[in-house]
Amino acid sequence: MKFVPLLRSRFVVVLLVLGLLVAGWNVYVARHDHGLIGGTVVDAAGHPVSGATVVLYEQQFTNQVERARTTTDAEGRFRFSGNRSHRVELQASGPGGAMSARRIVKLWFRAQDWVLKEPLVVGGA
Amino acid sequence: MKARRRVLLVLRHAVLVAVCAAMLVPFYWVVKTSLTGENIYAYPPHLVPVGGNLFHYVDVWYFIPFPRYLLNSIAVSLLAVAGNLVLNAMAGYALTRNFAGRQAVILLLLSCMLIPFQATIIPAYLITARMGLLNSYLGLALPLLSTIVCIFVFKSSFEAVPRSLVDAARMDGLGDARILLRIMLPLSKAAVATNIILSFIWSWNAFLWPLIVTRTPEMQTLPLGLARFLSYMEDTTGALYAFVVMVLAPGLFVFFMAQKEFIRGLTSGAAKG
Repeated sequence: MKFVPLLRSRFVVVLLVLGLLVAGWNVYVARHDHGLIGGTVVDAAGHPVSGATVVLYEQQFTNQVERARTTTDAEGRFRFSGNRSHRVELQASGPGGAMSARRIVKLWFRAQDWVLKEPLVVGGA
Repeated sequence: MKARRRVLLVLRHAVLVAVCAAMLVPFYWVVKTSLTGENIYAYPPHLVPVGGNLFHYVDVWYFIPFPRYLLNSIAVSLLAVAGNLVLNAMAGYALTRNFAGRQAVILLLLSCMLIPFQATIIPAYLITARMGLLNSYLGLALPLLSTIVCIFVFKSSFEAVPRSLVDAARMDGLGDARILLRIMLPLSKAAVATNIILSFIWSWNAFLWPLIVTRTPEMQTLPLGLARFLSYMEDTTGALYAFVVMVLAPGLFVFFMAQKEFIRGLTSGAAKG
């Protein structure tokens, strides 16, 4: 009963709500910050490209630095682990040397797990 | 007659809305640009945000040590607010008492308000250095621990408390400290809120003093971080404006939370009777 007037105070209620939001956000971040980035690579016709090399660039203050590279599996899928940045770029090159455009991936927090919604297209126009 | 009065009312409100809009447009533009990242020289400019997102805020959070700047600003502001509440309340209460030289003290305080801070910054720096407080939170908050305007806010608020209450408390054996704590301050919530808001905003926005007192980037506050950010980043309009919003937000939050008490505190004692 003693706390009822406190709970009617806007100073307490607003700070409490903000605290809960921050706590909730931090719980969400803690559950989704494994640094996994995945996606697929396809050719201009939309077929998966196996053996394509995908490079992950990390955005520094003013430039891009290569952080990791991997190759796609038989279904054209790739996966990076251990990304620590919140803003990376991905670029794929097919076995024949055809390159994809660089794809900027903006994340909501560092090391957020993310799967590309659109595939990287090598040899496209 | 009634119709004419209504037209005048509508006109008056139209003018008020136009003035409000003129004042709010810069804020709107800052928030809009922080979302869209639109170049400020883009012509024609978009009045409504096109393709806005919050990623510029994420960039600011991670590209510079924003959490560190935020922590420093919060620490300095809390010290300044605490210092203002304690020291100004005591000074304001003292000025409501009768003592020899009271008028001279009031005159001295009022005349000190005429001297700009920039003129006293060298002695303030030397005193802070002698005390060994350079590059520390206390050193950053030191000149803002007590402000004359806020002393007078407390003074006018305490003077509005009926004299009979203070006399009754004294008859009951309360000393000055307890009269201040138990009677004056609970009856002067508006003055307390005004002190909190003003000292918070002044310390939050302080630039010159932190610039000369800090020695390491780890001790810099948000306004210094903003200047540093400007010198580092090029062609990042969106991130820059996002930074501005993030610097402004806590001050606005404190103001909106206590605006009722703030306005009451500023106007109490403004009219006699």
